[in-house]
Amino acid sequence: MEIKIMKNILDRNQNKANEVRSLLASKKVLMANIISSPGAGKTTLLERTLESLVKNFRIGVIEGDITTDRDARRLKRFGIPIVVINTGGGCHLDSHSISKVLPHFDLDNLDVIFVENVGNLICPSQFDLGETFKLAVVSVTEGDDKPEKYPMLFREAKAVVLNKTDLLAHTNFSIENFTSDLKKINNRIIRFDVSCTRGDGLNTWIEWISGQIKSISH
Amino acid sequence: MIIMHELGIAEELSSIVVETAKKENLSKVTRVSIIFGQLVQIVPEIFEFAFRETVRNTIASEAELSMEIVPVRLQCKTCGSDLPLEDNRFECSVCSSSDIEIVQGKEMFIKSIEGE
Repeated sequence: MEIKIMKNILDRNQNKANEVRSLLASKKVLMANIISSPGAGKTTLLERTLESLVKNFRIGVIEGDITTDRDARRLKRFGIPIVVINTGGGCHLDSHSISKVLPHFDLDNLDVIFVENVGNLICPSQFDLGETFKLAVVSVTEGDDKPEKYPMLFREAKAVVLNKTDLLAHTNFSIENFTSDLKKINNRIIRFDVSCTRGDGLNTWIEWISGQIKSISH
Repeated sequence: MIIMHELGIAEELSSIVVETAKKENLSKVTRVSIIFGQLVQIVPEIFEFAFRETVRNTIASEAELSMEIVPVRLQCKTCGSDLPLEDNRFECSVCSSSDIEIVQGKEMFIKSIEGE
């Protein structure tokens, strides 16, 4: 006997993500889902971002980590609410884990939640968390072929931060290849070239993300 | 510890399979048919392995997995052309517009199950 089902395998995740999205919209809270490989500099970017934003915005952070809380400890000094989700081996966060931790935040008194997803370029781009947008972070030390190898992420992300530009001279990363690959996959994606350690390019990023938060917060 | 994106998807799949089979009063699931779009970047061998892990000790433990991978199809929202994806170029080869919709290639569908 054959039973027709015809439904999205990730239906459950999608339904919960839709709930999260409408909850956040009703509370006027922006959620950025930050996706990168391990070591691209997500946590350092968050540190630099929080240093600039913490005076002007009410911020929360969700740290997705496979087993530790090392990233969260780096952000403690900002005195903002941080929740760690240990995926226990899982390579991505899903909407159920986000929904479960949202009650830890006072959403009525929050402007933005930064979600640092687990370091990985494939899985996190397939699990909608209910975020306002996805932000891809790549670094020049990883090579310029990331958009070509992981088109889904760069197709779906609203913006991409290219980090570690201070190391360009020491790598074979080609800005030309990266630019043309990115353009053919998603020519609307907004790009920021930065060096989180040296500070280059961060002002433009901070200005943009501040504008995004202001455009939806109360 | 297993870290692979196929596992999370296989877990969702097997729970849909087992729930549906119970609802339909099946005592055993013999086949599960699924469709993946090319953009999902599933490795069939790894997915098969992950599926076997997640259906272990369930009524679907012996089910055969039929997996179909469908190519990407794009539609140009400017001129309406239906296009294949070539060289990861999300751009219309007819009118050069980049206002493109992915109409096929992102699927993760369960089509049907068979059982007795």
